[in-house]
Amino acid sequence: MTKERTNSTKAVEEMLLDVGTLLMGNGASTGRVRTTINRIADALGYEVELLITSRSLMLSVTTEDGSEYTSSVKRTPPHVVNFKLVSGISRLSWRVVEEGLSVEQINQDIERIKALPHYPRFVVLALVALAGASFCRLFGGEAPEMIVAFTATFFGLFIRQEALKMRFNPYISIFFASFAATMVAGLSIKLNIGHSPENALATSVLFLIPGVPLINSLSDLMDGNTLNGIVRGVNGLIIAFSIALGLMLAMQIYSL
Amino acid sequence: MELITLLEKGIWFGFAALGFAILFNVPQRTLFIIWVIAALGGLTKLILIQLNLEITIATFAGASLIGILSVYAAHTKHAPPLVFSIPAVIPMVPGIFAYRMMLGLMKLSSTAATSDTYSVSLAETVSYGLKTLFILMALAVGVAVPMLISRKETVKKVKHTAEN
Repeated sequence: MTKERTNSTKAVEEMLLDVGTLLMGNGASTGRVRTTINRIADALGYEVELLITSRSLMLSVTTEDGSEYTSSVKRTPPHVVNFKLVSGISRLSWRVVEEGLSVEQINQDIERIKALPHYPRFVVLALVALAGASFCRLFGGEAPEMIVAFTATFFGLFIRQEALKMRFNPYISIFFASFAATMVAGLSIKLNIGHSPENALATSVLFLIPGVPLINSLSDLMDGNTLNGIVRGVNGLIIAFSIALGLMLAMQIYSL
Repeated sequence: MELITLLEKGIWFGFAALGFAILFNVPQRTLFIIWVIAALGGLTKLILIQLNLEITIATFAGASLIGILSVYAAHTKHAPPLVFSIPAVIPMVPGIFAYRMMLGLMKLSSTAATSDTYSVSLAETVSYGLKTLFILMALAVGVAVPMLISRKETVKKVKHTAEN
């Protein structure tokens, strides 16, 4: 029983590569990349075999009757976290199953999802800074320390955004951000603001923690995608190391 | 009084998660749910710690609750569960322990191994480091609990089996 095919195998393959690399580059786990690609391919009447690594995706697409076969590799974009994209593609994959979209319609929808706006820069800065203040409160800080954590996080994230804009290496950008945030928070210790300035210092760099790489690393490892799990874990460790380095340098400067 | 402080912390758990949700660019329709899920998960952890449970176990329970609630949120708000669960568990990351471990490492690297304070610093650093590691593992495994229990490839099917 083969479904009627109106799409060319090559077009299907290119679309699937697009879907896979976008998911992988924007914070989806390896298992999710695999299920989503399989779901779309299945709905279109193709069989697909995958090799998923963190920097590239390889897949072979076969028609269900085995008459056509093609395979190809695509490079994954640098990893950033964008859940609007992950969520959009997940919804799209279900629409393919339920509404039977054609490859052309899928490609159009992918373009639409890619163009979805990010939150305005000021909103991101303000809310992440608020998160920094919240962390400080959770670890036992009072109002003065919370204000310090807010300012330090705001400034640190601003530096990170600027560094990324200037195309610095992502780890170096994190180092700059951590250094900047600690310099601001450390100033409060020198000026004796608040009762427990340690709280402000420790929480001012928390906005940099590699939450997505570490959690995805564990889910990959538990899923049996050991290699990808290790890659993500090492990436998380280098980020943690960059944060520590920035923190250390700033503390040396203040001789804390 | 105790209760009010506790509930107040719940609010901050919510805001900490909200900041990360914005940073990760989640869809706007999921923001409020993330706030609620993070607050509930954080409160679970705090209440269990009040009941004298080990922090790792309490964190695991909180993260599991977040994982389970994320599956329900995924159905109502039509987004994959990780969109809810990852921002919501981040406020439970043991920042202070990681920070103290880092301070300890710095101290160890700059003091002589023969000095009197070395072994104390070493013990403290190892203790904080292990706490950090185990809490992080509890977070990651806790979030995965619904998928591990249901043994389904996608949460959409979790609902289907419940309905049939």
